[in-house]
Amino acid sequence: MTLAGAVSPYPGAVALLEREHELGVLQTTITTATAGEGCGVAVSGDSGTGKSTLLAAAIVSARSTRVLRGACDPLSTPRPLGPFRDVAPDLGLGRMHLDDGAPLAQLCEEILDALRTEPTVLVVEDLHWVDAASAEVLRFLARRLDGVPVALLISYRPHETGTDHAARPLLGDFARLDGLATVELGPLSVAAVADLVTGTALDAERVHELTGGNPFFVTEVAKDPDRPLPVSVRDAVLARAADVSSRDFEVLQLVATAPDRLDDRVLPALDVDLPTLRRLDSTGLLTRTRGGLAFRHELARQAVESTIPPGGGASLHARLLAALETIDLPEPAVLTHHALAAHDAARTTYHAQAAAAEAIRAASHSEAAAFFQTALDHLADDAPAADRARLLQSLSLEQYMVSRLDEAIANVRATFPLWELIGDVAGLADAHQTCATYEYYNARRREAEAQADAAAAIAGDAGATLAYGAARAARGFMAYMRSDTDLALTCVREVDRTPGTVPGPLALKTDLVRDLSDLVCGDDDARGRVADVIDSARSHRWDELASTGYSQLANLDVEHRRLRSAEHVLEASLPFTVDRDIPICRHWQTGVRARLHFFQGRWSAAVEDAERVLDERGMPIARLWPHLVAALVPMRSGAPEGSPHLDHAWELAGQIDEPLRLLPVLSAFAERMWMSGAADSRVTDDAVRELERLTGAPGSEWAVGELASWLLRLGLVDKQPTPVAGPFRLAGEGRYDEAAGRWHALGEPFAEAMTLGDAPDPGLRVRGVELLDRLGAVGTADRRRVELRAEGVAQVPQRPRASTRANPSGLTNRQLDVAKLVARGFTNAEIATRLFISPKTADHHVSAVLTKLDLPNRRAVVLRADELGIA
Amino acid sequence: MRRFIIEREIPGAGELSQEELASIARTSNEAVASLGVPYTWVNSYVAGDKIYCVHEADDADAIIEHARRGGFPANLVTEVANEFGPQSAELVAG
Repeated sequence: MTLAGAVSPYPGAVALLEREHELGVLQTTITTATAGEGCGVAVSGDSGTGKSTLLAAAIVSARSTRVLRGACDPLSTPRPLGPFRDVAPDLGLGRMHLDDGAPLAQLCEEILDALRTEPTVLVVEDLHWVDAASAEVLRFLARRLDGVPVALLISYRPHETGTDHAARPLLGDFARLDGLATVELGPLSVAAVADLVTGTALDAERVHELTGGNPFFVTEVAKDPDRPLPVSVRDAVLARAADVSSRDFEVLQLVATAPDRLDDRVLPALDVDLPTLRRLDSTGLLTRTRGGLAFRHELARQAVESTIPPGGGASLHARLLAALETIDLPEPAVLTHHALAAHDAARTTYHAQAAAAEAIRAASHSEAAAFFQTALDHLADDAPAADRARLLQSLSLEQYMVSRLDEAIANVRATFPLWELIGDVAGLADAHQTCATYEYYNARRREAEAQADAAAAIAGDAGATLAYGAARAARGFMAYMRSDTDLALTCVREVDRTPGTVPGPLALKTDLVRDLSDLVCGDDDARGRVADVIDSARSHRWDELASTGYSQLANLDVEHRRLRSAEHVLEASLPFTVDRDIPICRHWQTGVRARLHFFQGRWSAAVEDAERVLDERGMPIARLWPHLVAALVPMRSGAPEGSPHLDHAWELAGQIDEPLRLLPVLSAFAERMWMSGAADSRVTDDAVRELERLTGAPGSEWAVGELASWLLRLGLVDKQPTPVAGPFRLAGEGRYDEAAGRWHALGEPFAEAMTLGDAPDPGLRVRGVELLDRLGAVGTADRRRVELRAEGVAQVPQRPRASTRANPSGLTNRQLDVAKLVARGFTNAEIATRLFISPKTADHHVSAVLTKLDLPNRRAVVLRADELGIA
Repeated sequence: MRRFIIEREIPGAGELSQEELASIARTSNEAVASLGVPYTWVNSYVAGDKIYCVHEADDADAIIEHARRGGFPANLVTEVANEFGPQSAELVAG
């Protein structure tokens, strides 16, 4: 009987007509991929358009190639990594229990390695129901298919994958990237419908009109041509079960109640015997798939589900739940789904917490948050306060992990009265401490300080020394961020005197705050000490501490123009934050890298990083540099005004109110005023006032120098203040050529060009304009041209048609990686190996790099690497 | 009923404890009872990474269904065509 054989959900459920082109695309993809040149296709189409049938037909052509199928299911909250757990055994990855807490990045690598071993067609259907972690893994794979013998075939419904959907970035990749393609399945034509109903008394035009050309609907109608024409898909499906006994029909309803599949192992507990299955086989509605019983098509499932009377669903779900609880290793996400639908609050809370724990192990934080929320919503009113507090805390942590800070803060605040109620002082202090951290990431510095102070007061009163130490260390860190190094060091000394804190992560954190404070004050030896703290934290696996160290080191290196050092730090630290899943640091460091590229005149890479942080809704504190970069790059290149980025930056700077954040924002406003000539009180009043107030603040010599330079150009101040960093001081002393040389050596070409332009010597000023043009800062160059012409300087350089000399300003991050390897003399094959791409793609990148740099060959890149800043 | 030999690949099968075998037997018995068709589990033999089972049913379909319900693999299902042993030598005059 057929219920014994099928392995895939719906193949054959829909006739394959008018899909020759799409089938060809899929077959070519499979042939190309299995020959070693990995590629993928997304099949897009509404329910019933024949996505599964098309995929099944294409797979037939794969012949002996390994075919792996994973599916996403319509659960209330999806199974974390569900589709990959389906295929894990066949990939040699065991049952992928995730018990070892392997980070998602490692899992991605393992899956990719397993796929390298033999040609594979990997099919993941129904992406509209995908979980966030699976979407991440798929995206990782989709971007590394080069040279991997894998055909990645996915399917989704376009109307159920809106802009906020977890699969959106992946679908964007399929639409955009080389080697990936999307095919869209539309309705059938009248001619195709006529083909399907040929030999019957049915009228093709009428059937087409009735079904809207939906292939599934047409197929169902054509299967029973002698019945009266059904008015809906539902009627067409139910007509097939018209002769089934009521007891058998209840089995169909049970199967329809299981959104994924009815696990074969629960059939004994549900009293479904083999003769029943044989009778149901005659309806043609069911199939065997993934160790269970399922409907041939989702539309058929929905039709049967719709026959369950109101209130009848809960008892079916309860039966399923009880049956599932008797088998080994049930999936908590599925149990949660049924408990929820069975209106069983206690079981819901119980299973949802297990599902959340599993989601955390899969690094699927949005699902984890959803499960904790479900658990909390169903927690009994008389549950112990400590249980509720812990649940709230777990929920808030997961919300923080996915940048939902407002909710995270609200939930951690909701624990305050609970801890008080049960008199758990350590819990209360810890909650205030957590709240302080989230508030700070949310750019509400004052509130963060108040929360840290509250934590310290509560812990101090109760003699909870560790909690007190943690609160004071956090306060010290915030003081350092605010360039209040005196307070930072005071806090650190207090913690050091607190008994019982040495050695441990807290002691190391105070070391970090002390060393960073020294570094920001100009003690260059402190840089090595910060690096030592990071190393030590990494060796103890205190990941957040190590990552915080990286974040601050990179930021200070950029702020103080140790640009090469910053580049090295970020090369090590960004992969670390991705690998250890620390979103705040990943966004912060990506923002810092945006600013680094920006200083280096690598506009494209800068904007790419900035947009990534803004697109991913990075936490407010991490959005400041991205907003500045996103505002200034277009302005310098001469794009029209109008982006709101500076206003966002202004708002953030006001909330954070830290000198090293505020000064650069004011500089950006001053630059805009200088470019546009439109007076702005944030420059004429605020900037002038803040420059005076913040001159001399620890670590502010560069930020003060830069703001003063713009205010000088605007005539709002008449000299550089003291102290400022070297190049500003030299320019202030009139030694413009020397100052420009310093900028050149530091690798900041825009500042070099501006300094040349400030000089009285027309020769230097012309050089400045030429440099701006070469950098692609044509907007700024035009402003200078106006100045020069107004002053009657002869031989003002013409506005260039296009960038004619080598500069890396247009290289993307990927192309920069490639350019650096070319500069080091690597061959394309070596570059391919190092970047995990195919030699063909490496060739492609190298040509793009040569074109953008306007260089004839790779030797020229090697020779000019220093000049291009890619050595 | 017809007699079948079922080969099940279970890595580490030889290491299974008596308690684990008892638990598997319980699951198997429940699966047999749930089928609603004539079915007899005759015996099973653990050998290295495999378990060989002798079952009786009307068709191979029931054997597969039993495996599904028990959550067991059934890598090879072969109908027993004949049986013989040392005593077989005496059955036909030589």
